[in-house]
Amino acid sequence: MRLSFDWLSEYVDLAGITPEEVAEKLTMGAFEVEEIRKVGPDIEGPVVLGEILEILPHPNADKIRLTKTRIAPGQDPLEIVCGATNIEVGQRVPVALPGAKVINRKDGTSLAIKASAIRGVQSNGMLCSPPELGIVAAGVETPESSGILILNQAHGELGTDIKKLFHLYPDYVLIVEPRSNRGDALSVIGLAREVAALLNRPLKRPEWSLDVAAAESLNFQVSVENPDDCPFFTVRRLSDLRVGPSPNVIARRLEAVGVRSINNVVDITNYVMHEYGQPLHAYDMSKLEKAEINVRRALPGEKLVTLDGKERTLTNEVLVITNADKPVGVAGVMGGENSEISDSTTDIALESATFNQARVRRGGRLLGLASESSLRFERGVDVGSTAEASDRATFLLLKYCASETQPTIGKLEKAGSDQTKTVSIDLRLAQLKRFLDADFTIEQVTEYLTPLGFTVTKKDAQVVSISVPSFRQSDVSREIDLIEEVCRIWGYDNLPVRMPKGAVTAGPADQTASRSRAALVASGMCEAWLSSLTSADTNPNLASYSTQNQETIVKVLNPLSEDHQVLRQSLMPGLVKAAAYNQDHGRKDVWLFEIGRTYTRLAAGEEDIFGTGVKEEMKVAGVLMGDRKMTAWKGNEAADADFYTAKGVVESLLAGLGIDLKRTRFFTPKTTNILHPSRSAQIEFDRGASKKGNNNNNHQQNPKSQIEHLGFLGQVHPGFSDAMGIKQPAFLFELSLDSLRGLQKPNSFKEIPTAPETTRDLTVDINERVDHAAVESCIAASAGPILQQVELVSIYQPAEGQRSLSYRLSFQDIQRTLTNEEVEASLSRIRESLVNRLGGSFRV
Amino acid sequence: MTPEELESKLTAAERNALGALGEVHDSAQLEDFRLKFMGKKGEVTAILSGVGQLDKADRSRVGALANTVKTNIEQAFETRKRAFYDQELNARLSTERIDVTLPGTGLKPGHIHPLTQITNDIIEIFHGMGFSVAEGPEVETDYYNFDALNTPDNHPARDSQDTFYTNINPSVLLRSQTSTVQVRVMEKTKPPLRIISPGRVYRNEEVNARKYPLFHQLEGLLIDKDVTFGELKGLLTEFIRLFLGKPLKTRFRPDFFPFTEPSAELDSQCPFCMGSGCKVCGHRGWLELLGCGMVDPNVLKGVGIDPEEWNGFAFGMGIERVAMLKYDVNDIRHFFTNDLRFLEQF
Repeated sequence: MRLSFDWLSEYVDLAGITPEEVAEKLTMGAFEVEEIRKVGPDIEGPVVLGEILEILPHPNADKIRLTKTRIAPGQDPLEIVCGATNIEVGQRVPVALPGAKVINRKDGTSLAIKASAIRGVQSNGMLCSPPELGIVAAGVETPESSGILILNQAHGELGTDIKKLFHLYPDYVLIVEPRSNRGDALSVIGLAREVAALLNRPLKRPEWSLDVAAAESLNFQVSVENPDDCPFFTVRRLSDLRVGPSPNVIARRLEAVGVRSINNVVDITNYVMHEYGQPLHAYDMSKLEKAEINVRRALPGEKLVTLDGKERTLTNEVLVITNADKPVGVAGVMGGENSEISDSTTDIALESATFNQARVRRGGRLLGLASESSLRFERGVDVGSTAEASDRATFLLLKYCASETQPTIGKLEKAGSDQTKTVSIDLRLAQLKRFLDADFTIEQVTEYLTPLGFTVTKKDAQVVSISVPSFRQSDVSREIDLIEEVCRIWGYDNLPVRMPKGAVTAGPADQTASRSRAALVASGMCEAWLSSLTSADTNPNLASYSTQNQETIVKVLNPLSEDHQVLRQSLMPGLVKAAAYNQDHGRKDVWLFEIGRTYTRLAAGEEDIFGTGVKEEMKVAGVLMGDRKMTAWKGNEAADADFYTAKGVVESLLAGLGIDLKRTRFFTPKTTNILHPSRSAQIEFDRGASKKGNNNNNHQQNPKSQIEHLGFLGQVHPGFSDAMGIKQPAFLFELSLDSLRGLQKPNSFKEIPTAPETTRDLTVDINERVDHAAVESCIAASAGPILQQVELVSIYQPAEGQRSLSYRLSFQDIQRTLTNEEVEASLSRIRESLVNRLGGSFRV
Repeated sequence: MTPEELESKLTAAERNALGALGEVHDSAQLEDFRLKFMGKKGEVTAILSGVGQLDKADRSRVGALANTVKTNIEQAFETRKRAFYDQELNARLSTERIDVTLPGTGLKPGHIHPLTQITNDIIEIFHGMGFSVAEGPEVETDYYNFDALNTPDNHPARDSQDTFYTNINPSVLLRSQTSTVQVRVMEKTKPPLRIISPGRVYRNEEVNARKYPLFHQLEGLLIDKDVTFGELKGLLTEFIRLFLGKPLKTRFRPDFFPFTEPSAELDSQCPFCMGSGCKVCGHRGWLELLGCGMVDPNVLKGVGIDPEEWNGFAFGMGIERVAMLKYDVNDIRHFFTNDLRFLEQF
């Protein structure tokens, strides 16, 4: 909220305190001041009362004249040029002397007065008009706005300081961040209590009293259907008022806090709201059918045109103010147009009430409506000052809205109760010590809390009983809340600062994600962070590439937009989109990966670790599109990523995590919709496979429980790729990081063989449908223990339907040198096995 | 042969050999020389075979001479060999000139996302202060997101305008804060404890340069005996010093959160203007870095911890916010667009 320094100083003694000091104290006392703005007239230097002695024509101009104006008794007059037409000899006028700063009437900027020649005649100052002095509606008559402000004897001696005379000093507005739990501080009085406590300055009150007898005739019926929605409701009638412009003091203060002046009646309700934090509303009595108001829930479909001119359709969730059973306002939010105060209004009904916080918020949200009033009710309005605020407004209305007829007022009609609870809390000095690490005395506690409205009573040497005022009962209900209050007023800056005492050591960190990142970055991949909220796959043309399962998808019921409707079930579509985005921005080297979660709704009976009905799984996924070489000059230009590039990245990832590649299988059947059906692989890990090689590559031979599904690898389905506008083949992988985590093996050293290694090359011709993995596994199975490594070195096609595969085989015994016979024996077994089991052949 | 004859032959052989070496002009001739004078069938070897037939006294004398001759020839040979090698190597070096200004080859380096880097930096600092990492689910129940965090039923944060609800059931939502992990950890782990919890959170907010419907937070929790508010300030001040790497002034300012009491906002002196006021800090000279406070007794009671016996503090910060400050990023959407021109800057 905006707080006027001038207004604040009416409620707390700020003598000798600057706005900056108040702002600093409020900021460090829980009410952050975001900004201080200087508002109102900014007049500097000598502006004094003068008298026009002579008016002469200007020798060089028709429209301006030369005056001789005296500014001190007995002194020679000054020659001052003036263009106004309303001046006459003998008038008393404000004179700005050289060195003064007034306001430029045309644009509101600062205007410095200098002694200078105006069309050849020296002018030693300026006679001022009201706008030049920042006087807007000062109650001083001027024939026209451009005319000079004409004063009289009553304004004092010649030379009187005009700034003092008209209180032409700037005000300072502090922009205070509102606190959700401190509705009581959304007012001048509320913040005055804080400032008084924080600065240890006495509180003040302007002097006023409402000592007008209530007229019996001005009766009014008030009723409330449900006291939970509205605990206390009051109305007071006032008659014979005159609606007109507001007095300067009210208009200027409202303007300072950002409220547009409307008329005196409406302005006073706003003024008191800012002062007390109690929203008020005035109804035009002549527009009410009966002298009665009932507060009830709206009927479904009921309509009301609010003060902003919009028709609102109400629901049972909205609390309304009704007259003759017709809504005339949304309780606590905004009044209705049908009972609005107008220039011809003379009689009003003034409402001051408290409404349920949640009800006001609900109503406001449903209607998409917020106001200064709802802002306060949502944070809680003190029922203890509802009646006083009404009195204060009544006092001001009588003072500033009087017509020729003496206004009369009715009695304050009430429904419900403004009784407040008595709340007392014990505060132990030992607990202050425990939390704040400092010794406090009962006197200190009393000094800090009393200005805030608390009453402190000593119980014994170590405990005080603290009574909580009505306006703080919503946020102070426990000892810890009082500890906060003491700490706040004492000052957070006084806390003894130290490092925590206890000795707790950190547990081991899970390195799976960071090791994965290291491996992928080493492969040239860049890390992406994608949105886990994504659009639902509703396009029927893309349905066959969808990674979303309608049975298990987690949907957001109140999505922000179509793009954020469901939780993703795969990282792959997002990566493809990111690749497309980069391609569209001119990139041909898009290698991205992400480590992130996927979300699946659990079926009944599935293990639900978090009790949310959803399984969240960490995945690591990547997309490769184009060439990521640093430079193309060394030949090899056509090295765009292909399936095997992506596979290499996956293998490096697995190796980086210490996962045994020999137990990992890549095979084609049944992958995932988003991938090319004949250029994709499912990735599995065989927990049961022997350390080296395997009897058969067929994963089905091992019991199912031994097989762990890790994920997928493959080319983006060309159909999906086309739909995404991707112009070159892109390749994806996605693995479960949660599965990989469990497969990591701690490193352990294996003895480096001292015996020499023997290598042999072997080329086999075989049907092209036989996978490399089958050949490799056949070699491993038949070679015997001396075969250490099988490396594929080349592939070519000798004939249609055939492939020729060349392998480099390494033989070694860790302890001794192998004989040629041993190696040859192994090679013959391998050849025989390749011929018999896979139909291979060898050329001599 | 007599010893004397042998001696003179040796002397002559040395003279011949050294003379011949002087006539050698390239490696090929040097190899001929080696075969002629030093090989198994070479001159000196032939003379030396005669030494074995001498009697003992002569043998040692002539033998010593023979060794000297042999060594002299070998040394002269090695010197010559080295000279030829150097000469030929030098000739080769100048023909092997390359353009060292051509670009290097290999793969373009990968990059780690700035949010990962920031998160890791923060984790590392707190790990050194005894905090372990704990993670929790992003899809949460309203119990963990609100009730257990002392956030009453009518609190504005519960509104569907602020929080995303799901089709699982009315109480399952996307967590709006990582503070949920506090409660899950305290339910399972007895104090004393120190944890931090980085993770993704969701808020129903329109996308703009400062807001995105999902973002990341890092939450910290310390529970022990008689923990003071000043210890919270001390720990976080130390964190800021280590994280920003500059001894910046910090400001500990009262604030309000439902699950801490008393609560505070930790502001740091703006690292861009050092407090004099600039665009980044909105001319305040201070930047809000994190929210914190003493764990509310209601939160402790809710997980069965006696607040009279244990107490502690919690703190939380926005990762994007901190990253935007540290790297001077002006739009939160950059973090999620995954434009390589952005990612490759980190």
